[in-house]
Amino acid sequence: MKKILCVILALTLMMASCIAMADTVEEVIAQAQTMSNEELYAKAIEESKGQTLYGIGNSSRGKTAGASFVEMLKGIDPSYDGVIEWSQPKNNSIFTTLNADIKSANHIYSMTLIQDGNQIQTKMIDTGNLLNYIPKDWAEAEGVAIEDNDNPLALQTLNKVFMYNCVGEKTFDNCWDFVAEGEAPLYMGVNSELVGKNFLYMLTYETYANYLKDAFDALEGAEKDRIAAVVADMEPEAEALGLEAENAPYALAFIKLWCEQYNEQTDDGPICNTLVTASAKDQSGLLVYSKLRSVEESAETSVNNVKIAAYQDGYKGIGGYAYKHYLMIPKTSPLPWTACAFIAYMTTTQEGFAAWGKDMGGYSANPVCMQDHSKDGYVDGVNTFDAKNDRGYDWWISADGGRLVVEDPAYCAQVSFDLGDWIDMIVGNK
Amino acid sequence: MQQTAPVSRARVRLNRVLTYLSKPQNAILLALGIVLTFSTIAPMISILVDTVSVHVGSVDSHYTGLTEGYTLYNWIDLFTGRLARVNLWTPLLNSVLLSVFSCVGAIVYGGMFAYLVTRTNMRFKKYLSSIFIFPYIMPQWTLAVIWQNLFDSNAVTGTSDGLLAAIFGVRMPLWWCEGLFPSVVVLSLHYAPFAYILIGGIFRNMDANLEEAASIMGTPRLKIFARVTLPLVKPAVLSTVLLVFSSAMGSYPVPHYLNLTTLCTKYVQMGEKRAGEASILAVIMILFGVLILIVNQRTTSGRQSYTTVTGKSGQISLVNLGRAGKWLVTALFCLTTFFTGILPIILFAIETFLPNPGDYSFIRNGVAGNLTAKWWMTSENITENGMYGQKGILFNEAIWGAFKGTLIVAVCCAFIAGTIGLLVGYCVSKNRRSKWAAYVNSMAFLPYLMPSLAVGVAFFVFGSSMGIFNTYLLLVLAGVVKYIPFASRSALSSMMQLSGEIEEAAIIQDIPWRKRMLNIIIPIQKSSIISGYLLPFITCVRELTLFMLLCSQTKIITTMLDYFDEMGLYAFSSGINLILIVFILVCNTLINKLTGASIDSGIGGGN
Repeated sequence: MKKILCVILALTLMMASCIAMADTVEEVIAQAQTMSNEELYAKAIEESKGQTLYGIGNSSRGKTAGASFVEMLKGIDPSYDGVIEWSQPKNNSIFTTLNADIKSANHIYSMTLIQDGNQIQTKMIDTGNLLNYIPKDWAEAEGVAIEDNDNPLALQTLNKVFMYNCVGEKTFDNCWDFVAEGEAPLYMGVNSELVGKNFLYMLTYETYANYLKDAFDALEGAEKDRIAAVVADMEPEAEALGLEAENAPYALAFIKLWCEQYNEQTDDGPICNTLVTASAKDQSGLLVYSKLRSVEESAETSVNNVKIAAYQDGYKGIGGYAYKHYLMIPKTSPLPWTACAFIAYMTTTQEGFAAWGKDMGGYSANPVCMQDHSKDGYVDGVNTFDAKNDRGYDWWISADGGRLVVEDPAYCAQVSFDLGDWIDMIVGNK
Repeated sequence: MQQTAPVSRARVRLNRVLTYLSKPQNAILLALGIVLTFSTIAPMISILVDTVSVHVGSVDSHYTGLTEGYTLYNWIDLFTGRLARVNLWTPLLNSVLLSVFSCVGAIVYGGMFAYLVTRTNMRFKKYLSSIFIFPYIMPQWTLAVIWQNLFDSNAVTGTSDGLLAAIFGVRMPLWWCEGLFPSVVVLSLHYAPFAYILIGGIFRNMDANLEEAASIMGTPRLKIFARVTLPLVKPAVLSTVLLVFSSAMGSYPVPHYLNLTTLCTKYVQMGEKRAGEASILAVIMILFGVLILIVNQRTTSGRQSYTTVTGKSGQISLVNLGRAGKWLVTALFCLTTFFTGILPIILFAIETFLPNPGDYSFIRNGVAGNLTAKWWMTSENITENGMYGQKGILFNEAIWGAFKGTLIVAVCCAFIAGTIGLLVGYCVSKNRRSKWAAYVNSMAFLPYLMPSLAVGVAFFVFGSSMGIFNTYLLLVLAGVVKYIPFASRSALSSMMQLSGEIEEAAIIQDIPWRKRMLNIIIPIQKSSIISGYLLPFITCVRELTLFMLLCSQTKIITTMLDYFDEMGLYAFSSGINLILIVFILVCNTLINKLTGASIDSGIGGGN
């Protein structure tokens, strides 16, 4: 009888502690949002001394940032001996892993740094599995575009931009040129990197569908007729898919042609390696801008072999796509104070963002963290590699600048089921 | 009159059980049966349950309106939905075609090589034998990457020019560069060593009198080959088919790199919105494994009816290929093995000195200055050196950490799988007519016949629910279950060769079981048993498909290698490949010198 009582008591205590912990994480976040970084760091030191914080994310640089954060805490308290372990699961297993961790009795992960707003919305936010936390110092910093980056909190916005090899004569001065007859732009498979699929979803959003319509209007000749026929075919499809934007048929036409024609690659790295070689004459692609950073000049390879489409005078239409890395906290986070402090560190200090800040094409919402990359193409004061001179976030997203298509998790989640199947059908029938 | 005390039935049963369990082989067999049933069946049940579970954020939840519980939506949608052809039937057809043609390719290439090595006067046999198994030692997708680097061209694949196009202007057609054909070729080359070792074993041991008798009767040589030789190797051919079919079906990286949609590649793609339907694909792959197991058991049980191999013949006569023929055939195989075994290593080495991935400008322009040692020697990742934020291979903690992780997993898997396999082999050989022994043997062998990705998926679902994702424990569990067949096959075949009298003599002397094993059984079959440990070790070192869903990219070296390959950082992946190949060759050679065991004797479970 005594044993049974003990077991019941233990189970009750376990359940109570679980319930208490769920409340605690939310409460911690609520309190943390009113605290300065210094106060948070003190809480983190108190909470995670001698402990390991497990983080999970798509970006391997979380590990570098983690090491920097631990060093910073050691600077405050030399006896601090916490550790940050960072894991980067493959092949979309991140959401399954997180859900399993949240459901299990023994929770591991304290924080996340994930891309793909669509899945974050449908699998994590709608279910309440991940909680949003807004650092006070971030919200109060001067120049932060809060409304674009707080739901959920974005560490950074990354851009994928249209580029083309310029060794030959061909030019791409309209975004529809990338889906012109015979073109096969290099692109990661839409089902291998799902933010690529989100790009296609976002094209049906009113603002971006309008960009496409405007670019279409600027076309001339046979190519315009070809695309007009596809647009006409897409009108009933847009209605069937329940798309609300007036110019949704233009978006669907672009998606259809893009999916039928793109040349699937395993990653943006190989796409960049290809485009910068002399032999890739007239090839084009949509890839992460920062890949240009690591190209080494040789007889066959040069950054000057590519041009950024949106940088060319008179370019019409969208210049690429912007997606985000979101920072969130599981509702079962074992070390919520440390997670909050780490998130605050990455989003409000230059050192915290340094792991990402060295890349062009990656933008923190907080100007304090940003590094200037507008002259990355200069060598000894001479503009040597123009493609590397990043014109900055504001230029890229403006309607008279790069006209990037920006990921919106809620919109992606809204259209992804029906539109996703529609896209899969096109890709599958290639 | 003296009456015996009545004994209850329960008592009699208990005594029988105790008597049965008093023999170590019976007790171990019972325990292994329970453990293997759990370790093999539990993950399968997890995956089966996953097919009917509701996944929040997936189509099953969206269209049924459920947020938890069970539904048949996934089964109905996968088989009858509008994406059925795209998500199921086309990948299924491609998987079957890939498996069938890979079997044919591996058997034709490996079998022909086996015949030439064992039954003809071809030259350089030792060298060719060693080099022939190189593709099996290398991670399978590395040949796929080499294929791309050789044959891709801007004009056809829309990428930068590969070696042939860059240097000679040769542009191969698209069907050659990607899709079913190159996938079949790469997997055939990778699995041809299976066929070589299995079929070669028969050729080596078969009684040449049979062929000579036919020859004396004036039968033409071709007819002798078709009517006498081929039927003799039929069991080995069947074994090769069984082993290669499921391995090819479970291959993820080769079709992934060569743009072929199979069940494996589709599984990975469907995780976003159709996790439950993806699990059904894994169930289908498992069903293929079960089907193959049934075929295997039928062919094995019927084998006695046509097997005439009774032991080594002292009269193996070599077919004379002729003076020119023997050199011609030798040259041909030297050339092909150069392309499959030596060239990849040379290309891996060259790749690590190129300034950019795939940038062969030093050949085209003859400028040696375009080569660099930065991929090996860079000791920091602060300055931008065109290293994509990575340190050089020699200084890269992530690479060496992953290598250490691989060693931990491989050593644990080899030790546990090898030991369990040894016990299975021993116990089954001691209970040859027992149905339970046959069941345990089947349970031990079943995971081998299940595609690696399906086993990986099963352990992914199982490990996630147990909260052990991304731990060495999960990797070791999956590895042990998958690799027990290597050890059990090897151990069973060696134990079958042991006469029972050897152990009986020790039993009469009342020597305990532990001592009998350590001092008699294991020393006698030392090399076969060590092969049973060596093969799981080496296979584990270069395994990707099984582990890719179970851990993060930096946990073990193959996921790290795959990460670099996907990112297009071929210098790193090539460097890691070189390290792996050298490591495996050194291990194999060392163990071979010390114990006589080798990977060759273990492949295929010792036949």
